[in-house]
Amino acid sequence: MFRRLQTKLTVLYAGLFALALSLVAVSVYLTIANNAQQQVRRELTATGTVFDSVWALRTQRLRDGADLLARDFGFRAAVATRDAPTVESAVTNLRQRMGLDLAFLVGVDGDVVGVDPAKVDIDKLWSALDHEERAQGVFIVDGAPYQLISAPVMSPNLTGWIVFGARLDDREMTALERLSAIRLDAQVFDRRGETWVTTDKTADTGALGAVVATAMRQATAEPARLRTATGDSLVLVKRLMTLDGQTPAALVLRYPMALALAPYQPLMAAVIIAGLIGAALVVAASWALSRDIARPITALEAAARRLRHGEAAHVDVRSSDEIGRLSDSFNLMAAEIREREVRITELALRDAETGLPNHLAMEREIEARMARLAPGQQVVVAALGLDRFTVLRSAIGYALFTQLVREIGARIQVLDPEAVVGRLTTSTLCVISRLTALTDEVVPVVERALVDLAAPVRLGNELVDVHMSNGLAAAEAGGLDAPRLIEQAMIALDQARACGRKVAIFDPVAYGDPAGNLSLMSEMLQGVATGALFLHHQPKLDLRTGAITGVEALVRWNHPARGLLRPDLFVGMAEETGHIRALTDCVIDRAILDQRALRDLGHDLTISINISGRLIDDAEFADRAIEKIAASGARFCFEITETAVIGNPDVALGVLAKLNAAGIPVSIDDYGSGLSSLAYLKQINADELKIDKAFVLSLENDAKDALLVKSTIDLAHSLGLKVTAEGVESREALAMLQMMGCDLAQGYHIAKPMALEALVAFLGEQRLAETSAPAKARRRAR
Amino acid sequence: MKIASILFAVAMLAGSAQAADLTVAVRGPDGKPIPDAVITVYPNGQPTKGPIKFDWPYRVAQQNIQFTPFVLIVPAGAEVSFPNLDKVRHHVYSFSAGNKFELKLYGHEESRTVRLPAVGIAAIGCNIHDQMVGFIKVVDTAYAAKSDANGVAVIHGLPDGPVVAKVWHPYLRAPKNEKTLAVTAVRGAARETATIELRPGGR
Repeated sequence: MFRRLQTKLTVLYAGLFALALSLVAVSVYLTIANNAQQQVRRELTATGTVFDSVWALRTQRLRDGADLLARDFGFRAAVATRDAPTVESAVTNLRQRMGLDLAFLVGVDGDVVGVDPAKVDIDKLWSALDHEERAQGVFIVDGAPYQLISAPVMSPNLTGWIVFGARLDDREMTALERLSAIRLDAQVFDRRGETWVTTDKTADTGALGAVVATAMRQATAEPARLRTATGDSLVLVKRLMTLDGQTPAALVLRYPMALALAPYQPLMAAVIIAGLIGAALVVAASWALSRDIARPITALEAAARRLRHGEAAHVDVRSSDEIGRLSDSFNLMAAEIREREVRITELALRDAETGLPNHLAMEREIEARMARLAPGQQVVVAALGLDRFTVLRSAIGYALFTQLVREIGARIQVLDPEAVVGRLTTSTLCVISRLTALTDEVVPVVERALVDLAAPVRLGNELVDVHMSNGLAAAEAGGLDAPRLIEQAMIALDQARACGRKVAIFDPVAYGDPAGNLSLMSEMLQGVATGALFLHHQPKLDLRTGAITGVEALVRWNHPARGLLRPDLFVGMAEETGHIRALTDCVIDRAILDQRALRDLGHDLTISINISGRLIDDAEFADRAIEKIAASGARFCFEITETAVIGNPDVALGVLAKLNAAGIPVSIDDYGSGLSSLAYLKQINADELKIDKAFVLSLENDAKDALLVKSTIDLAHSLGLKVTAEGVESREALAMLQMMGCDLAQGYHIAKPMALEALVAFLGEQRLAETSAPAKARRRAR
Repeated sequence: MKIASILFAVAMLAGSAQAADLTVAVRGPDGKPIPDAVITVYPNGQPTKGPIKFDWPYRVAQQNIQFTPFVLIVPAGAEVSFPNLDKVRHHVYSFSAGNKFELKLYGHEESRTVRLPAVGIAAIGCNIHDQMVGFIKVVDTAYAAKSDANGVAVIHGLPDGPVVAKVWHPYLRAPKNEKTLAVTAVRGAARETATIELRPGGR
């Protein structure tokens, strides 16, 4: 809810105080209001009592006057003798003397003297007077309430009533109001029909009338509360005796609560002002207090955030309380964390043995440099490898070897003080040079530098010779990331060693795309299924008959995206990744179909199939191949690379024996290259030997090669093997091989590997040539 | 006796028919007897021609600050005496129409005489003593009687035949304090009950 501790504390304290103050204010108000109301109630009741006394006094005064007149002999005589003018003058005289509002005579026969008969309800008045001997009470005369007092006129029997009246008007009410201790408002209500009316009209007469009606119905003596738009009032309703006892009238005493509360307003205002000032003080105080509490905590929080981001985090809190101690602890902790971090970083970025920057440090350095590069500039990285390091390390020991690496690092630093030198692997150093572009001109510079570096190193008392190779790679900012750049430099180092050079720049073409190669295998398996893999056949010429007696089947792959792929790209990979068996199965199946197609056209050819060395010790494969070949009646020759047999010689020899038994001839491929040995020839029960094209290609130019070929042919023949020469690319070579007694020849001079349709066409041409002697003679001559 | 014999002779002379007695019992609504009610009977509805004489004295004494009797029946034109039997003096007056008089202060053992000419009422009071009230019923018929303490009034010697009988009381709640009785004819001994309502408080 609150994001800041200070706000939270302030709001909490201020809120509590405000609540307490509100409670105090409310209770003060309620007490005052209650007191005021009680006081008004008492005053109203007291005034009501006073009114009773006033009423009684006035009644008595009027009655006395009325009695006096009623007994006056002359007056009685005038009344009895119906001397109206005399009566009226007597009545008027007394009215004026007594200061009365009204005085008149009512005869027993209903005659009225002294008042306009139209203004008085005579019947009601007469029956009221007749009903009670000394009737008195409120009566409406001319639409206004009057207090009437009657006295009978006896002369000596009843001849009429003298009636005195006091009007209950504003003046009268004002007089009554003055008698009260409080400034109340007095009104007389009387009922006209069902409504209560008063002559003294005010805005809320209607509401007041309703209150009067209720009070009269319930005959309550307690003040009632009247709520109007102008404010609350307390209303005391006193029933007034009416003359006839039927039409009720009421004295209504009313006191506005606002007036009752008025004396307390300064008190209320004081309470509220004191409360507001108090609340403001509490807010200010708690703000200040909470700031003192919150400030160090805020500082600690900010410091902790800085610490998390690896920045310096020191909290400056000088208080000696818990927060101060916490801050001290925090500062200590932060310092220790920084120290440890520095150490860990150092360990993470240093090679423990030599103290040189490690792989990670070099990556960081590369990243840092890349961030500073101008457009078009490159970061150049060199991977400097110690050649034959295992031999060297065994010779001089681990400790000296490490010292040697350190020494070479120091030499590089001397040669190029701006370069950064790190250790990538045990035997490889990494140099990030100051160069900003990697071109071929760099290579001789580096070669010269390597000569200087390779000077013998003195380790203890001995001088040690050092040989080094160097791989170079470069990248622009946004090109490669640092690990890839280092990797490329390492690959370049491998490439240099592979080429037997001292320095090489990374060659992406030679390297290929390892990730792409992996996906290539699954695509190859799809190609096997969809028929994207097919065979090309290279004819083999029988040098004795001049006829094409066989072909070597070479697998081709028409990749859906990359087009026709070279076999050396995917065959070797299939061997490495274990897919060679599926590939070879496919080749066998194709070859069976192709051979059948050729046979149908009348060409009976042996198809030579290359069997990877890795399959030779796969008995299961051999069994299935033999079965398949037997079932289809195919005539195949298995060409096996001699290096292959080494894997599991016992199994391989068994397989070869099985092939022999099945009548499948075995050919030793690429003889003369690699680790060919005579022992090998002895061991393998082969039918054919294929001389590697390296010897054949330079046959006519190199006498030594010619001699080797000749003697190999002779050796093979001596062992009972037929000999095939590969790589026959010239007429001269072919002629020489014929002379040497070679059995079969294969090469571009005879025919390139070709698709089945082209092969059929080629064989047709051959057949035509064979049937014509001159052509045959010509071929012989070649 | 002399007067009685004369009356008797008159009655004999006048009444060609048989004489009848009317007994009227005056009661309140509650059945209580009401004294001092005056019954007047008019044979054939006609007042009596010639002089009328009742066999009671025409006299209202003031005794014990009271008029005695409270109600007196006199024929019109009768002379009524007002002897003062009290030790105090009285100032007797009447404002009644036709019978107005005023007997100013007179003392013990003094008597005054007033002639009351008008048929109707003479309400008499004392100007000194308010509580003193009396009534003189001035009649124009010879057949009138006042109810006794038992509320019974007897009128003797009425001629048989149709009558108009009325009851009057100073406080009777009716116009002129008078009501006509239900009886319309008498023969022999007739009995009648008059039920009347009085104003409370003696007004």
